[in-house]
Amino acid sequence: MTILATEGLTKRFPRVTALDRLTVSAGSGVTGLVGANGAGKSTLIKILLGLLPPTEGSATVLGLDPATRSLDIRRAVGYMPEHDCLPPDMSATEFTVHMAQMSGLPRSAARERAADTLRHVGLYEERYRPIGGYSTGMRQRVKLAQALVHDPQVVFLDEPTNGLDPQGRDDMLALIRRIGTEFGISVVVTSHLLGELERVCDHVIVIDGGRLLRSSSIGEFTQATTSITVEVEEGTERLAELLTAAGRQVTLHGRLLTVEAGSPDTFDIVRDAVCDLDLSLVRLEQGRHRIEDVFREEASHV
Amino acid sequence: MSETVPAPAPGPTGVIHDIGYRHYDGPRLGRGSALAALIVHSLRGVFGLGRTARAKIMPFLLAGVMMLPAVVSIAVMAMIKRPGLSYPSYAVTMQAVLAVFLAAQSPYLVAPDLRFRVLPLYLSRPVKTGDYVAAKLAAMAIALFLLVAVPLTTLYVGELLIDLPGPPHTHDYFAALATSVVYAVLLASVGVALASFTPRRGLGVASVIAIYLLSSAISAVLVGVLFSVSRDSAAAWAWLINPFFLVDAVQVWLFGTSPNNDGGYPPGAGGPVAAVAVLAVVALCVTALVLRYRKAASS
Repeated sequence: MTILATEGLTKRFPRVTALDRLTVSAGSGVTGLVGANGAGKSTLIKILLGLLPPTEGSATVLGLDPATRSLDIRRAVGYMPEHDCLPPDMSATEFTVHMAQMSGLPRSAARERAADTLRHVGLYEERYRPIGGYSTGMRQRVKLAQALVHDPQVVFLDEPTNGLDPQGRDDMLALIRRIGTEFGISVVVTSHLLGELERVCDHVIVIDGGRLLRSSSIGEFTQATTSITVEVEEGTERLAELLTAAGRQVTLHGRLLTVEAGSPDTFDIVRDAVCDLDLSLVRLEQGRHRIEDVFREEASHV
Repeated sequence: MSETVPAPAPGPTGVIHDIGYRHYDGPRLGRGSALAALIVHSLRGVFGLGRTARAKIMPFLLAGVMMLPAVVSIAVMAMIKRPGLSYPSYAVTMQAVLAVFLAAQSPYLVAPDLRFRVLPLYLSRPVKTGDYVAAKLAAMAIALFLLVAVPLTTLYVGELLIDLPGPPHTHDYFAALATSVVYAVLLASVGVALASFTPRRGLGVASVIAIYLLSSAISAVLVGVLFSVSRDSAAAWAWLINPFFLVDAVQVWLFGTSPNNDGGYPPGAGGPVAAVAVLAVVALCVTALVLRYRKAASS
């Protein structure tokens, strides 16, 4: 099922072109929308919600056109903005109930859904206290809860891991994965951190400067490559020199060495080189693409 | 939420299951119910209900002050058997209290949504920008109407119970009640429109109170000066600069009540002009609000 599609979508502001003839589509599951700050991610979400009119081109969300059916779209879509959006003098429960009612749920259903949703995002007793006293992690959970409370078919999460500590980040990513699989709600999640999306997405769309760089499934991004990754405890440079002398193409990535494997005997050569230099081998594995590499490669081509 | 599900006969009974995520398949109501929810939510906010105790002090203190003349009038009627404060003069007499209420509470309706950026969440729900504006205006208008109508009604009930000699002032009561709707709509549009231009509550309060003080001071000074140079008909027009006397002039025109200023309003054209002025100010403020929020929605 196609949850969103754009066709030559362009948005020009007086001084800047935020989206430039963007044509993408995304199916159900978790879709990552990757791009640097200012790449046009938030603008795209606003156009899809019908909050901004596009300059040119068209878009559909769940088969509906935001220009004419924005209310129907917003009834079926949840939105978690990037910025703070919570009133400090209300409790999370009260706020979530109110937001559910604003989506058209009757009051009793809104209360029940709010309690359910807050529990799912991991807010318990503290949900009765005013939001003003919450930590960043708790605020992000409330923001997520208000996007889910009306049981949408799709949620747009704009930078949900912003400002979270590593533990909070892991929890949030696990939650996003659960929303996409267990809850059966399609997710469009933006981030500028590629490593994060690698862990939760089925499909990744990379945009840069308002243009599409690449759109493909996560498997294609992270497929096996012909290189070998080697990590030794110390003496990385000496090993690199020896392998280069043996006619192999070697690149250094911090503590890691990437060796182009022209033939199967490259593994043997690496092993012998490590033995000759008397180094402690930590890791020797088939290299995998990371989204970062793709992003870097494609950005340099454009 | 965990639920007690009666298990089939052979198994254990009354086990609590965590049944995981449940989809909602109940009714989804339209824009109207979202609008109603926002009005109720905002109205509660105006009176500080569901908020901290500190948020309740100001509105309830002012509502209490609004009740005082009604209570005193009832006491006067009961003890010395003479009519107290007249219904049509209630709002004009208490104009300072109404102005303070408007200044203190209208920023509360709109400023936090701008300052804490809650507005994008409202706009991502199935409501239109106009609905948001309408709900905020309606909430403030209802609050102001209650502020005037409750004391008026108390006073009227008091009058009926005490049963003074002569017929009760039923016409005056209903005229004042109808006029309080005009007061509510005019004051709410001015207050909310002014408050919506700044996300800072303090600035909102200051700008609303400043507009009231300015208009009433200019009106009073002009009336005084024009009276002293014996331009009485011009002075009658100068009263209308004060929004409370403007509405009072409409009341005099529509219901034939006696004017509550010194010297009355311009005869003939005064009433209709005042009514048109009220409508024009309301239209101006609503237009400003809609434009303001249309801009906020696209940014």
